[in-house]
Amino acid sequence: MASERYSFSLTTFSPSGKLVQIEYALAAVAAGGTSVGIKASNGVVIATENKHKSILYDEHSVNKVEMITGHIGMVYSGMGPDYRLLVTQARKMAQQYFLMYHEPIPTAQLVQRLATVMQEYTQSGGVRPFGVSLLICGWDGDRPYLFQCDPSGAYFAWKATAMGKNFNNGKTFLEKRYTEDLELDDAVHTAILTLKEGFEGQMTADNIEVGICDAAGFRRLEPAHVKDYLANIP
Amino acid sequence: MLGINDNFPEYALPGVKKVHFEPYADNGGSIVAIAGDDFAVIGADTRLSTGFSIYTREQKKLFKLSDQTVLGATGCWCDTLTLTRLLQARMQMYEHEHNKAMTTPAVAQMLSTMLYYKRFFPYYVSNILAGIDSEGKGCVYSYDPIGHCERSTYRAGGSAGAQLQPLLDNQIGLKNMQNVTEAPLPKEKALALLKDVFISAAERDIYTGDSIYILIITANGIQEEKFELRKD
Repeated sequence: MASERYSFSLTTFSPSGKLVQIEYALAAVAAGGTSVGIKASNGVVIATENKHKSILYDEHSVNKVEMITGHIGMVYSGMGPDYRLLVTQARKMAQQYFLMYHEPIPTAQLVQRLATVMQEYTQSGGVRPFGVSLLICGWDGDRPYLFQCDPSGAYFAWKATAMGKNFNNGKTFLEKRYTEDLELDDAVHTAILTLKEGFEGQMTADNIEVGICDAAGFRRLEPAHVKDYLANIP
Repeated sequence: MLGINDNFPEYALPGVKKVHFEPYADNGGSIVAIAGDDFAVIGADTRLSTGFSIYTREQKKLFKLSDQTVLGATGCWCDTLTLTRLLQARMQMYEHEHNKAMTTPAVAQMLSTMLYYKRFFPYYVSNILAGIDSEGKGCVYSYDPIGHCERSTYRAGGSAGAQLQPLLDNQIGLKNMQNVTEAPLPKEKALALLKDVFISAAERDIYTGDSIYILIITANGIQEEKFELRKD
């Protein structure tokens, strides 16, 4: 992890006790595309905007919503390349766990391991913190889970949350809309509505991504499926 | 050492001694485990020996790993002790991290990987893991020294394993029998069979005898029984 020349950490304390690099990393996250996660009674939904800067971009070739194992999915806000690394590591961790215990990795265990990786990058030589916050959704032990992982390595279990641009508005919107007995379908609807709050321009099935996780596992919704949900949005 | 080769005595050098340290010992013992629909029984003898001598007649070879899982281990006793201690430590760490006990299938897989880690200096141990799986059914997992793992309904291992396995194949697996109807194996029959099987083992295998401990694992916990065998 340490590059050849640096054996000291670049993330150092400020006099006020803050780790400024982590603050800046969180700023990078807050400047990234909005993502939203909602835990329903029978599943979890994660969604994100995936706006392209030009019509020349090949939509749907690269995804933000990714599957880690059959029962765990992930999305992010922040820097894409940093995210890719974490996805690869998360997938490897899940497989290593299965090799050892022949059981699918519990969501909380995966989150802990990933968060440990992210923390290591705040206390190792020659590296910078990850510029992403992750939203991890999973289903194990007959219940749904939704976790957020921050650049600092802190992780939180959420009922519903938003990250990235306009995350404050998103969270306020969710605080009003969230109920304990939400069903997955309604949760998807609410997630799309939350995304729409801060969305600049017209929202279509080609510039958002939605993933759901329930007892049957995790899957990313097809654009056609997303279109059906959008049709119900005013 | 250099120069000495059993095939070339003419090259032997005077004063050169061949020192040989044998890291393994065979301390004997046998284990039998049977799985039922909602129970598992595992028995192991209590004789620890070396060559033609007996170290002790009272060494338990069954290790209670949890309320649902029991490991029977024989072979090299030093390796058995280290392996079981390592396994118990790993299970405690799992419990701390996961806030729940390991399921029997998870222990089974972990033991397999732990044994393979020592692929090039193996634990000389014959392992049989018995317990209740996540669905409440009895399960028996048997291993070779380097971690090959197989789940089955019944298994005999240890020094008398080769003698006992065919007997179990016939009585529980109903192999090579005509006009037999398959029926679920009740706990009492499994226990009676276990005792008979060890009596047979003690008859012919010098490393098996003295007594056996039987652990009966059910959803309600683990019961223990002791049964005497031939002392010769």
